[in-house]
Amino acid sequence: MPASTTKSAINANATLLSSGKRLEDIVRAEEGLISRRIFADPEVYNHEMERIFGRAWFFLGHESEIPEPGDLMTRPCGVDPAIVIRDDDGIVRAFLNSCRHRGMRVCRTDKDNARFLRCPYHGWAYRNDGSLVSVAAESHYGEGELDKDDLGLIPVAKLGMYHGLIFATWDPDAPSLEDWLGDLRWYLDIIFNRTGGVEVVGVPQIWDVECSWKFATDNFTDNFHVFSTHQSLVQLGMLPNDPDFACHGHMVTVGDGHILHFVQGEPGDEAMMGFGLPKDMWRLFDRHLDPAQAKIAREHGISAGTVWPNFHWLQLVSAGDMESASVGFLNLRMEMPLSPTRTRMYSWFLADKAAPDDFKKTSYETYVRTFGPAGIFDQDDMENWEDCTATALGPAAKKHAFHHKMGLNRPPASDWPGPGIGYADSYGEMTQRSWYRQWREMMTAEANGKERA
Amino acid sequence: MGVDASFAPGSPLYSEVVQFLYEEAEIVDASRYSDWLALFTEDIRYWMPVRTTRHLASGHGFEDVALFDDNHASLTTRVKRLETDSAWAETPPSRTRHYITNILLRAPENKDDTVLAVANFFITRTRADHGYQLFTGRREDALRRVGGELKIAHRKILIDQTVITNTNLSILF
Repeated sequence: MPASTTKSAINANATLLSSGKRLEDIVRAEEGLISRRIFADPEVYNHEMERIFGRAWFFLGHESEIPEPGDLMTRPCGVDPAIVIRDDDGIVRAFLNSCRHRGMRVCRTDKDNARFLRCPYHGWAYRNDGSLVSVAAESHYGEGELDKDDLGLIPVAKLGMYHGLIFATWDPDAPSLEDWLGDLRWYLDIIFNRTGGVEVVGVPQIWDVECSWKFATDNFTDNFHVFSTHQSLVQLGMLPNDPDFACHGHMVTVGDGHILHFVQGEPGDEAMMGFGLPKDMWRLFDRHLDPAQAKIAREHGISAGTVWPNFHWLQLVSAGDMESASVGFLNLRMEMPLSPTRTRMYSWFLADKAAPDDFKKTSYETYVRTFGPAGIFDQDDMENWEDCTATALGPAAKKHAFHHKMGLNRPPASDWPGPGIGYADSYGEMTQRSWYRQWREMMTAEANGKERA
Repeated sequence: MGVDASFAPGSPLYSEVVQFLYEEAEIVDASRYSDWLALFTEDIRYWMPVRTTRHLASGHGFEDVALFDDNHASLTTRVKRLETDSAWAETPPSRTRHYITNILLRAPENKDDTVLAVANFFITRTRADHGYQLFTGRREDALRRVGGELKIAHRKILIDQTVITNTNLSILF
């Protein structure tokens, strides 16, 4: 059949880079070899925009950020600007933040409350459910020239929520959110429903870093960088002077690129149990989680996970300064690529609704002092991401691979109680390799004419 | 604009505050971190709220959540960290220049404090072979006389950006 021959010929070129190599051949996740070329190269980035940022599910925010009808926030959905709004009927909706007429940004503040959104350019006005209400100079349109019913704001293709986390995709052919998250939901329950629900406090911190977005995603599943990258805090006595201190736990590859880990302290270290929540809250784990989930919550302090591709939770336990005791805090992170070498970081603080106010305050203060752009941990991570990006730009560097081999031959843990594949020892690169496998899948599958799973 | 004569430019207190703020800028630009820390009271709150873009009718967009929310213990930790040889965001260090302008004195909100000094700041940073990064905004400092010397008892840093476009906030404000 000539038609399909032509199609496969075109598609075969889709993964061929100008270097003469194919994407499939330079992301050798099974061998732990990931080419530096994929990180900051404009050609690869342009493919990512279509194949990942046009197709995946993305985190938009948490339902608690827009509690009342008319509440709205402007957020990226992937890389496209979106309005996330609760309409007059209380339904959470998301639209491209762009007028149907000429594309002007309809909502130009970070947050607001509105029944109607009016475009500044020509005055087209939309209801908070996205429908077009009125246009300027309407009497000058002739018969059949203006179909208002067909000119509402461009909605996301699909929107879904899980434990108040709002996700959306621009791809009408994307799987449902339930299928996209799959077995990851079992772990999202542990983090977001452990005490009956969490809520965002305030607004996210937002800042731009001169780095490839993938260095941030790579970092959030990495425990063994802590001792070196955050060495200053070891020197101050805020972290144990032991390179293996964060290795007690498990890493989990859930499938489809979703990855996570749980870390515990030395036996009997209660600060590193129950996610650093007050001990009298731990009984809530049994009420809201199944026994296997509750056991994980009770026994661990730290957990980080990635909802593929660019959304992460960081459940951490730390002191905020040299004098204070450790406390748990929950942080959400998202990367929005701005260019091959520039990324916008979003960072939210969340509190368990059931937590006492004094705990919420201490947890928040500890978060602000340690994470976010001024955080005494976080600021050193950005240093790595920027320099790793800068050194990946040259033609010589692009011929070489990064080393992601830790745990390449490690067998799965036979007794891990959750879905996916668990690995004992929370130092390892199983999770990164799983993330890059999914990246390769998204970047090549449809280009190679394979049906979407 | 009725100004208390003791707060007006040319008054002894105004001159003392200008001298204090300029010396602070010199100390911080010279990376004399411990000397900088000594300029703050034990009950210091060092606070930079997150700013959002809002319509004017909704206010100036300063939120309850912060980029900095430090007390003396956490500010001390920041300083001690900068003095290690492994605070990579500042190792090797940024080169900063703090320009403090438009200084006005106001009556303090807290009876224990001596005066409220408001000022604009314009901070340049360059690191390694990087270009300049700019930080601008307004500072509101509650100054308190302790043992004859002025100290900063409360510093509110109102940064102009809603998205910090400068990698991180590893410098001191």
